[in-house]
Amino acid sequence: MINLLRSEWIKLRTVTMNWVLAIIAVAFPLVVTLLTAFFSGDDAGFKTRDLVSVLTGTTVVAALLCGVIAAASITSEFGFGTIRPTFAATPKRVKVIVAKGVVVVLATSLLATLVVLIGWLAGSNIASSRGATIDLTDVPTAVPAMVGVVVLTALMSLAGYGFGLITRSTPVAVSILIVWPLIAEGLVGALLSVVTGNDNIGVWMPFQAGIRLVLVESIGDGGPSRIVSGGYFGVVALALVALGSWAVNRRDA
Amino acid sequence: MISVSDLTKRFGSKIAVDHLGFEVRPGVVTGFLGPNGSGKSTTMRCMLGLDRPEAGVALFDGTPYHDLKRPLHEVGALLDAGYVHPGRSARNHLRWLATSNGIARSRIDEVLEMVGLTSVAGSRLRSYSLGMRQRLGLAGVLLGDPHTIILDEPANGLDPEGIRWIRDVLTHLARQGRTVLVSSHQLSEMALMAEDLVVIGQGRLIEQSTVDSFVDRYADHWVRVQSPTAETLVASLTTAGGEVTTVAANTLDIRGLDCVAVGEMAAQQQMVLHELSAQTGSLEDAFLKATAGAQEYTSTGLAAQ
Repeated sequence: MINLLRSEWIKLRTVTMNWVLAIIAVAFPLVVTLLTAFFSGDDAGFKTRDLVSVLTGTTVVAALLCGVIAAASITSEFGFGTIRPTFAATPKRVKVIVAKGVVVVLATSLLATLVVLIGWLAGSNIASSRGATIDLTDVPTAVPAMVGVVVLTALMSLAGYGFGLITRSTPVAVSILIVWPLIAEGLVGALLSVVTGNDNIGVWMPFQAGIRLVLVESIGDGGPSRIVSGGYFGVVALALVALGSWAVNRRDA
Repeated sequence: MISVSDLTKRFGSKIAVDHLGFEVRPGVVTGFLGPNGSGKSTTMRCMLGLDRPEAGVALFDGTPYHDLKRPLHEVGALLDAGYVHPGRSARNHLRWLATSNGIARSRIDEVLEMVGLTSVAGSRLRSYSLGMRQRLGLAGVLLGDPHTIILDEPANGLDPEGIRWIRDVLTHLARQGRTVLVSSHQLSEMALMAEDLVVIGQGRLIEQSTVDSFVDRYADHWVRVQSPTAETLVASLTTAGGEVTTVAANTLDIRGLDCVAVGEMAAQQQMVLHELSAQTGSLEDAFLKATAGAQEYTSTGLAAQ
């Protein structure tokens, strides 16, 4: 399994597009957070909560990009046909699927960890130097939200990987990954609210539940807690990967 | 040794491989022939577990491919030279392949040297020609120094030097005692390279034999006579049951009689012969005759007009 993990890591890091997406995923939240810290740090009302909110809010985009990396890690194998030499080199397909999933989730989680650490450390220093009072203990939900960024990124990668396994097509997998959380869940949630009369049902949409992992504001909307919503999204992401693995294992390569 | 038995693969209602069985022995190159769409590539994919067959099994020295622990050490396969990521370099392509089977990095440089790609090993594969990709594919096959080699159309895209090179490589590998199965449409190449043949049509086995016996069985045989007085021999040859065709001035092709019979007739008539030779059709002729009626796609137009 170690050889397989190393092999999948070589594959992941030897594709330029993965580096481009990773750089965007890291740069976007950092640039927005650090610019905000710099330009708003001297505002009297700029607090720790604002800094953490900007950081965790922008990392949702980064998490989506990590989902794209994860989806493309498998769809590109089908697209270029490299899945055939891959399965010829390792006939037990589930091993390949597990190894690739582990590598891509670990890699994207590491990226998210870097973003959070650099964003917080640099952002708080910049804001402090501009006169703001930044103290992590001011906001009890700050640390859980920042840890949530890493967990959300891992789960978003897992979900993207699952879509990739199921669809085998980069455009289709990436479209689903973007349309589902950004459009489909809003429409379905609104429809279910009308049908059930429960205005709060949208929080049970899988990606909406996942995004609750990074909320800084106290979750007082009657929805599930951070851990429950994260666990729920995790189960959905794992189910997608399980379904995809079953399909890949059953179909012709 | 490769043993394929009762292999069956369907795509919807179409049977691509139909209860196919054959054996490939070590020490010789075995050609895998069949018309387009006859199921050669599907058979190879099924043998490697890439396509899921409805029935049947392929064994490599008695073991199904799926059960091989480190397959690249046992079986080297090249199904399509295009199965590469165009953004990777040749060296990185071989690195992930080698690493997955615990093959040392030094072996990558060795196989790159063997196939002549050392100088371009760092270039991205999108810049590679088809011939270069074929060489890279063969490097991948050789990575684990396997004793069984399966290649699907390895000469595609190669220039004459490359075709000769791959022929020499495969012949050399077979002489080392390895089992080599090669599909190809280049029948003249196959005639030079292969000793054994597996011929299929519409997914079914048509013939498994040596090249010589295949040609002997399916190709046309005739006697060629060249003589300044060839025309005087026609009547007696026809009377003796020969089918005579005048192919050029003073040159006859005779079917239905052998060299001995024709020579004796010529001697009786005290004829001067410039040529008396047994002629045999090519592997291509034999292949076309053997697979007549088993073609998936046939043309009726341009060539005949």
